Amino acid sequence: MNYEWEFDVVWENFPFLLSGVGTTVGLAILSMLAGGVLGMAVALARISRLRILRVPAYCYTELFRTTPIVVQIMWVYWVLPILAGVTLSGFQTGLVALSLNVAAFMAEIYRAGIMSINRGQTEASLALGMTSSQMMRRIIIPQAITRMIPPMGTMWVSLFKDTAIISAIGVTELMFQAQYLAVDTYRPVEIFTITAVIYFVITYPQSLGVNFLYKKFRTQE
Amino acid sequence: MEETTTATTTPIVRVEALNKKFGELHVLKDVDMQVAPGEVVAIIGPSGSGKSTFLRCLNRLEEPTSGQIYVDQEEITGDAVDLPKVRRNIGMIFQHLNLFPHMTAIDNVMEGPRTVLKSSRSKAREAAVQLLDKVGLLDKIDVKPAQLSGGQQQRVAIARALAMQPKVMLFDEVTSALDPELVGEVLSTMKQLADDGMTMLVVTHEMSFGEKVADRVVMFDEGIIIEEGAPEQIFSRASNERTQRFLSQLHWGGT
Repeated sequence: MNYEWEFDVVWENFPFLLSGVGTTVGLAILSMLAGGVLGMAVALARISRLRILRVPAYCYTELFRTTPIVVQIMWVYWVLPILAGVTLSGFQTGLVALSLNVAAFMAEIYRAGIMSINRGQTEASLALGMTSSQMMRRIIIPQAITRMIPPMGTMWVSLFKDTAIISAIGVTELMFQAQYLAVDTYRPVEIFTITAVIYFVITYPQSLGVNFLYKKFRTQE
Repeated sequence: MEETTTATTTPIVRVEALNKKFGELHVLKDVDMQVAPGEVVAIIGPSGSGKSTFLRCLNRLEEPTSGQIYVDQEEITGDAVDLPKVRRNIGMIFQHLNLFPHMTAIDNVMEGPRTVLKSSRSKAREAAVQLLDKVGLLDKIDVKPAQLSGGQQQRVAIARALAMQPKVMLFDEVTSALDPELVGEVLSTMKQLADDGMTMLVVTHEMSFGEKVADRVVMFDEGIIIEEGAPEQIFSRASNERTQRFLSQLHWGGT
């Protein structure tokens, strides 16, 4: 092993490389928000008394949790435009695919949080004369949220890294820029090493944050 | 004397031919009961006798399989009933405390009036302070349930139910989950309620409550009422052999 590291090429192209970070971060945030909202709707359908809501919601979550995310992205990129007759940009494709994926996982996080609330809370709420929606809003969700936050943090960190996959459809986020540079400069070793470091530097503090959330909400219960 | 008042006043709770089945299991079999306003009924019986299920049918936390229930002359059974509205009039206290853990004591008590009855904050707060004072917890107003003892939590739960100004209160083994030394404070709060004229149906294993506070004791066994009467009658000279056996197993019942 006497490879000669040549990092100058990385530093020369560093602004170009970093230009992908904004897209990575933006895509992760937008997918998390969209997936979070959609996931709530899926979770409510999943615990509904109506079979007609429950069954599709179940199929949705299981489908997206049991297929590779790269397949989902390719499907949205190649198949959806034909079926739905819409043309999406690469970024939009990534956003749609990741949001759908996140929604499936978030739905399970919401559902598990809601189901973890003791049955006695439901009974006490109903006995006071609350409607189901009052009970959800005032009693169940406020308690469930503290149990949902830690797994949401884990979900977020993994989503943040998963955004790299959309380089596969040509979106100029961090990973795509890295691949471009690697080919362009013939320095894949340095480029991908630094790219890994960039992901680490951004993700590690978030990961620490998630650990903190786990501790904080565990001691509270 | 008690019997004549019961017979002449319109009952506040009337149960007719109540049946409850869990699949094959027939838990309540054609149970009838009438409760007069202000009456305190202790419901006793071995576990699995259907007494808790009976109580839980009265606010339809448990769905009756058949039969009619009337509270204050209004039928509460059937599909057409507005259940949340019906339940406002029926307070319930549970074995497992079930306070809302994310709210302070006073917020627990204000929750029903605020969310269900849409009372103003000031009005709900004023009433809640009075109720917490009544159950002896004025100094715990801003404390969360986790910082309260089981007995204190159960008294907050009583205040929470009272805040809805119910016509009837249901108590489902409310002292069973408490440490023995905490039982007394809850029972005395209940006695105070009884003295104030609250109509109470109390499923209990506390025979002392049945003896000292109840107007009537009802004995359930295998889904039917096998015996009922004034406490002194049930506890000292129960006529039914199964009642006698049940009471003697609890080391109660005279001899």
